[in-house]
Parts: sequence; C-alpha cells; structure tokens
Amino acid sequence: MLAVVMVLQQASVRLILPAETMPVVIGFEGSANKIGVGIIRDGEVLSNPRRTYITPPGQGFLPGETAKHHRGVILTVLQEALDEAGLKAADIDCVAYTKGPGMGAPLVTVAIVARTVAQLWGKPLLGVNHCIGHIEMGRLITNAQNPTVLYVSGGNTQVIAYSERRYRIFGETIDIAVGNCLDRLARVIKISNDPSPGYNIEQMAKKGNKYIELPYTVKGMDVSFSGILSYIEDAAHKLLSTGQCTPEDLCFSLQETLFAMLVEITERAMAHCGSQEVLIVGGVGCNLRLQEMMGVMCKERGARLFATDERFCIDNGVMIAQAGWEMFRSGHVTELSDSWITQRYRTDEVEVTWRD
Amino acid sequence: MLFFENKGTFNQHMTKMPLSNRSSTKYVNMAACVSENDSDKKLEFFLKVPFPSEREAAIALQSLSPDPEPRKGGITKNLDVTGHTLSVRWTADEARILRVSVSSFLDHLSLVMETLDAFGPPVSQ
Repeated sequence: MLAVVMVLQQASVRLILPAETMPVVIGFEGSANKIGVGIIRDGEVLSNPRRTYITPPGQGFLPGETAKHHRGVILTVLQEALDEAGLKAADIDCVAYTKGPGMGAPLVTVAIVARTVAQLWGKPLLGVNHCIGHIEMGRLITNAQNPTVLYVSGGNTQVIAYSERRYRIFGETIDIAVGNCLDRLARVIKISNDPSPGYNIEQMAKKGNKYIELPYTVKGMDVSFSGILSYIEDAAHKLLSTGQCTPEDLCFSLQETLFAMLVEITERAMAHCGSQEVLIVGGVGCNLRLQEMMGVMCKERGARLFATDERFCIDNGVMIAQAGWEMFRSGHVTELSDSWITQRYRTDEVEVTWRD
Repeated sequence: MLFFENKGTFNQHMTKMPLSNRSSTKYVNMAACVSENDSDKKLEFFLKVPFPSEREAAIALQSLSPDPEPRKGGITKNLDVTGHTLSVRWTADEARILRVSVSSFLDHLSLVMETLDAFGPPVSQ
C-alpha cells in the first residue's frame, strides 16, 4: 500500500510520492570489452562502476578471452555497484541486462549473472537493446528533446531518429563500424589499447599535419568503411616504411575522412526529419574532433549539438539500467525463457512504448 | 578435469571439481557418463549436479537454459531439474564439439554457483 503525502500550498495541491514509488533499476552491460554494472533511480545515477578488458598493442579482443575477463570481475563489480550506491539487494526493484547486439560469449556471461540475481532477489528481469541503452542515457543526460542520433562505436554505426514508437535507422554502415576501422588502424601501427585505441588515435591525430587522401565512401544515407580500412592498412605499410608520412599523419587523415562522412549522413537525416538537434552516443562519440566537426555543421544549420562524456559514451551499466527503467515503467518484462541473448538485434526491432 | 572416452562402452566417472575461486573452495560431486550409441553413431554425455536446495537447482536451470548453443548443428543439450539435482544431457556427432560445449557449460555453471554463493540465499517467495 502506498502512503501518499499531500501538501496544500495556497490554491494548489502538490502530491509528494515517497521514494518507494520510484523504481531502482540495476543494469548489466558486457557486450564488448567493457563490463559495467550501474544503478539508477528516477534519473539519478547512484553508481556506475566499469572494467575494461585491454589487450596488448597490435591485438584485438576475442569473444572467449573477453568472456573470461568479464567472468573474473563481474561479481566484484556488482558488489561495487551496490556498495557505491549504498544499497542492499532488497532495495533493487528490477534487473536489466543487455540482450544484444554484441559478442555472444560475453553477452551470455553477463546474462547468466543477471538472471541468477533476478531470481535470487525475486525481481523482474528486463532484456535491453544495447543501442537503445545508449540513446536513452544520452537523452537523460543531455535532455535533448527529439534529436537525430548518431550512434558510433567499435561495434555499431547508425543514424537514428525516433518516429511512431520506433527508433528508426535512417542510415548505417553497410560493413564495419567506424570504431572498428579506427581500432584496426591502431592495431596496424601498434599503438596502445589503454585506455582505448580510439583515444590514443585522437591524441596522435592532434600532432598530425599531412593529409593523406583516402577513399570517401558515403553511399546515399549509408556509409562504408571496409574499403577505407584496406586502403589505409596498405598505405600505412608503404608510406611509413619509406618515411613519407608519420603515424600521426595517418591518424589525422583517417579521422578527418571518417568523421566528415559521419557528419554528412547525419546532416542528410536531419534534412529528412527537419530536425534541429543532434545527439552523439557511443564510444566514438567521446572524440572531441568528431564533436567539433559536427558542431560546425550544426551551427551552419542553426541546430544544437548534444554529447556526453566518457562515463556514458563508452559502454556502461547504468545506460542499460536507464533503458530498463523506461521499459519497466511502460510495462515491459522479460520472461526468463525469453531472456536468451542475441548477437544481432536491430534498433528498430524494439517497440518504444515509453515515448509518444 | 573430466575425462571421457567414446569407445562404445558405458563409462561412469565420479568427479570432484573445484567450482569456486573464492576463499572457500567447494567440491561438487558430479556423476558424468558417456556412451556411444551404436545405432546412430552419436555421442552422449550426462551430467548430474546436486544443489543445496530445490530452489537453487531451479534457479540454475532458469539461468543456464535460455541461450541457444552457439553452434547450430552437431550438438543438442537438454537441461532438467528433479528435486535438488540439475541434470544435463548432450548428444553430439563429434567428440571435439561435445568437449567444447561441456567445457563452456561448466564455466557457466561455475559462474552460477559463485553468484549463488555471493548473493544468495534466495529470498523467500
């Protein structure tokens, strides 16, 4: 039974609902090399610890090893999340986790823990779409009303706009993600993956000054990156060995090319939707050069640019909790038998019942 | 480690396996057996895992059954609970495929048990 306190203030009546009506949601994320557990209550981030599986320079992360990394730390991170939030298991109202998309083995590892604690604590389970987690966290943090969303990470590259209960994909990569392209250049030139290859490419790019012409492959509303990757991998070997350019020049040239393409397809979607807001989410969204280039385009159109910092751009648990909270509020629940993970999960597959 | 042979005879192994990395290591007695079914040349593997309570066995079942096998063909896995025992039955075409699936399952089982350890006991329903 809810205890409701009513406060009379002159002619108006204000209803103050106690905290127990605001659900506390815990979210588990581990679809790539970051494992995060976050807790949120009514839009307030109570905790958001995270660990990253970092491979040696020149190496990417494989599913089996990544899952092993997550398995080794997930229970510790879960306890951290509870401790930092100052909560006990009994305070949690529902358990959200990433249903997909992502890498199979790590997704399973995380889902298993989420299912187990949901049952241990007797709470409902919510399978969340990873991309929607990014979007909902971006909306919460920036308060963008109805933006054109550019979702860019190591695993995904999509331009998304909300329309009639779906996050519609207006444009996307037809092959690899933009972050994947950047990560693989980092592997070729063997730069450190700590804290992330993309961050290190960004720092090196600042010191580059020779622009190497690369293919520019926008395909209508979509983009393609695998051709650029092959080209630059080849060019890197040739140009670096003959001293015609530095690794910094390669980083600079690749960023300029990739980001210009992203700005173009975002602008195209904005024109279609008549949108005056851009929201950048996903790990590559941390990149300040991308934000700068997008800002120039937005200014030209009189539009506003929204972005978050690395706490929420990069995969984290609380974004899953936030999306889970929206879903839970609008009546979604995931049955345990339906809680299987999936490596492919389109953003527009989810019915967004929490928005008009 | 678990060993199994596929020589057409019915082998039964009682195996003790450490399943927790935490300070108190736990050993679980698991009955495992393998047989080769001559009529259709399929390998079979059975595992029976006892839990401290029926509730925890049921939780383990619900946590471990939803995800499909990564490999579509050549292997099937069935989980069931009777009382406080989780039983798992595999059929596979090749020993290699069977080994990978069983090994992966044991990792996941270990994770469930650690989670039950750290965040249990289950709340009363």
